[in-house]
Amino acid sequence: MSSLIGSPPETGATTPTAVPARQGLSAGRARTARRGLRVLAAVVVLGVAWALIAPNYPSFVFPTPADVWASFTRAVERGVWVEQVIATLGHLGSAFAIVLVAGLPLGILIGRSIIAEDLSRVVLVFFQTVPTVVLIALALAIYGISDESVIGVTVAGSITYFLLNVIQGTRAIDRDLVDMARAYHANETTIMRTVVVPSVIPYFLAGARITLGVAWQITLFSEYLMGSAGIGFNVNTAISLLDTSTVFMWGLSVVALTLLVEYGLFRPVERRLTRHMRRT
Amino acid sequence: MAQDDPQPLVTFERVCKSFGRRAEESVLVDVDLDVGRGELVAIIGPSGCGKSTVLNLVAGLTDVTSGSVRVADPEVRSAYVFQNPRLLPWRDVQANVEFSLEQIGLSRKDIRDRADEALDLVHLGQHKDKYPHELSGGMQQRAALARGLALDPGLLLLDEPFGALDALTRGYLQEELLGIVRRFQTTTLLVTHDIDEALLLADRLAVMSSRPARIRQIFELPFGPDRALDKVVAHPEFLPLRTEIRELLRPEVEATDPGSASTDASQATAAGTRRGSRARAGTAQ
Repeated sequence: MSSLIGSPPETGATTPTAVPARQGLSAGRARTARRGLRVLAAVVVLGVAWALIAPNYPSFVFPTPADVWASFTRAVERGVWVEQVIATLGHLGSAFAIVLVAGLPLGILIGRSIIAEDLSRVVLVFFQTVPTVVLIALALAIYGISDESVIGVTVAGSITYFLLNVIQGTRAIDRDLVDMARAYHANETTIMRTVVVPSVIPYFLAGARITLGVAWQITLFSEYLMGSAGIGFNVNTAISLLDTSTVFMWGLSVVALTLLVEYGLFRPVERRLTRHMRRT
Repeated sequence: MAQDDPQPLVTFERVCKSFGRRAEESVLVDVDLDVGRGELVAIIGPSGCGKSTVLNLVAGLTDVTSGSVRVADPEVRSAYVFQNPRLLPWRDVQANVEFSLEQIGLSRKDIRDRADEALDLVHLGQHKDKYPHELSGGMQQRAALARGLALDPGLLLLDEPFGALDALTRGYLQEELLGIVRRFQTTTLLVTHDIDEALLLADRLAVMSSRPARIRQIFELPFGPDRALDKVVAHPEFLPLRTEIRELLRPEVEATDPGSASTDASQATAAGTRRGSRARAGTAQ
């Protein structure tokens, strides 16, 4: 989901070829501004269309922007909004951190060792194909309704996306560079630190981005079905009361949060980690 | 000259190397070669014959199938400059040169100073903050050379280090390298497929056959220790040697690349085989 955001020339920034070559700096800036304006225009048009069409329907079918805004201010005033957002970000952040911390060494191990690959294949295929609903049912049976259940399901449901990227990145490591390091008597730890990990970083970032998108979906889904705290649970409560404007409110809140994570966290980290690929 | 030293630095003894589990692909057969201290030995042969494998064996990147490769002084610092620069893309030039120094346990300051020195040696001082993709091919290769030279190596392994460069840059770098190696008396093993490069740079020249590669003949080059390109070319023995080596290599190149075989191929091959057996007999003495 977060992987879909952003204007085309920026999205694939994980490969060197996707970095646009230097063009006239001011011309480039003017083009960026023009494109930004177009995106803004589309937002305004959609908003106006929403405001014009919604009043023709009952509020529980298609709430107006004003209904949704009222629902938002109410949730913020009652402290529900911040509380629930924190709960969901807690689930998501914990699961994402576990995936990254466990997935990077695991992925490198599987990518480098045929034995590890063969041994892990069944597990990988299982997690890749098992329906999230089944994971949720299993989590309910094991942990009951709890934060651990939501986090566990999110980890189990999203880690393969990350692993597959890291494995691919490990396989794509330039053997020549490893041989070079070996010829200069670098030991295995040094090779890992100076050659392997930096090589995997673009794949790490691509995998992290896909994983984050998937993890958002699974977290909300689990919250909805398991009835623990969080945005998903609140959507469930709201729709059972036919409070559609609150459902809209949470939907738009998630969109805003995703954008915030993407531009506030992901892009700056990515820019820092791939700075050697930029043309100056 | 140097092969008369009591103990050569590198010794190949009946080295055989084959790849694949059941030795189906033989690369090197019975290679005997000494590299004396301070000597520059060049190995020349058709492309793909297994010359690089010789260097990989010395560098410990691969093991012999039979025979032995000995480096007399196990403490000797070796540097390996490859055909392609093999710079780390995420490090700038300075940090790339420092890579070799980081592996020998120096202080941060020493690492920095010696990298600076090496960069000046190859005239890359002004470009040390650039990343490899911002450099031309020649500059990248010079950075790779600096990475090796920074170590102040006792043994320098060069694998067609100038092969991918244009003729002008190549000639310039060859002379530079020759100067450096002479100045520091660095034992050097150079692999090349360029006869002129071998004649200019080497004290001794080993000619290899096509795969499976053997050493066909070893030439003692007469151009003296303080040679330079112009002097070597003007030397009375230069052209005869060049012709002899060319003729020695001709059937080997044709064996590697059958498409290039001319109408008198069979004749040439026959002559080559005769010559080859004579040369082998000569080497075996």
